[in-house]
Amino acid sequence: MALMPKRVKHRKSQRGRIKGDATRGNRVVFGDFGLQTVQGGWVSAQTIEAGRIAAQQYLRTEGRLYIRMFPHKPITSIPLETRMGKGKGEPEYWAAVVKPGTVLFEIGGISEEAARMCFTRLAHKMPVKVRFIRRRTM
Amino acid sequence: MAEQLSVELRENQGKLNNRRLRRGGHVPAVLYGHGLENVKLSVSEDALSLALRHGSRLVDLAGGVNESAFIRDLQWNTWGTQVLHVDFTRISADEEVEVTIAIELRGEAPGVRAGGVVEHLIHQVEIACPAGSIPEKLKVNINHLKLEDKILLSQLEIPQGARLLADDLEAVIVQCVVPAELPEEEAAAAVEGEPEVIGAKKEEEEAAEK
Repeated sequence: MALMPKRVKHRKSQRGRIKGDATRGNRVVFGDFGLQTVQGGWVSAQTIEAGRIAAQQYLRTEGRLYIRMFPHKPITSIPLETRMGKGKGEPEYWAAVVKPGTVLFEIGGISEEAARMCFTRLAHKMPVKVRFIRRRTM
Repeated sequence: MAEQLSVELRENQGKLNNRRLRRGGHVPAVLYGHGLENVKLSVSEDALSLALRHGSRLVDLAGGVNESAFIRDLQWNTWGTQVLHVDFTRISADEEVEVTIAIELRGEAPGVRAGGVVEHLIHQVEIACPAGSIPEKLKVNINHLKLEDKILLSQLEIPQGARLLADDLEAVIVQCVVPAELPEEEAAAAVEGEPEVIGAKKEEEEAAEK
């Protein structure tokens, strides 16, 4: 089940720029370990779902996975072999805009070793470079 | 015992000077409290990270000022790898402080072997305790946590002299539950369609207007 907003204000959005590092959403909040992105980029809803499935298959019934991003941005595209012009394309998919430092996923209830293994599998699905982080109390 | 931390008085302030300070292996800091004047300080990054690694919240400042201080706040960089700024407050060892302490789970829940999942819902709590006896962590033993069991905030073991600062003592710290699965039908239904556009007129309404 790919994520998607229930209601939106506009069907299409402009591309935008990803400036600076994440100053919020850059800490582990819900679980014990997190997967933090080192690069900025768009993570599509399908990719998030692929990551979730990869992690869930490893976790099975152990632990709990938290998804810390949501695909709010509609990405449009023009069909192949179409002449330029005639307006903006139609929405193709939804993507989450992530800044460097954003925590993408979190895991709780399992050991660090297992969390590392799980995130390694998940990281292969991600279009951005990621790193493993732990919860910090202060 | 409080950790010793050597500090220097800091004359310069502002973004440029603080960045220069950080490049030199120091961390800008400030000391305040007890109705006295604020003092701008700088601390060695290595010494500070060592104190933090030891879990010290109470430190003895030496050098620029000679006082006991409590690490009130830390500012980290985006990656959580470097401390950007430290807030110290003046304190005496018997003074009561309000501090956030991490909750750590200990042991293995028997409910997991019965097919359950341990959900750790509250990771830290605020307590009031004398500055001299701040615990590093609060440990919760889950060796007796069976399936569908829960441990509440009211059951948390607090060190002597400390009191819990929480409104809801019935809040669940940790529970062992059966893992929830999303029904297949619901998943299939959620895939289809486009999201509703707020304020957009439907085709029927448009036709009626014409």
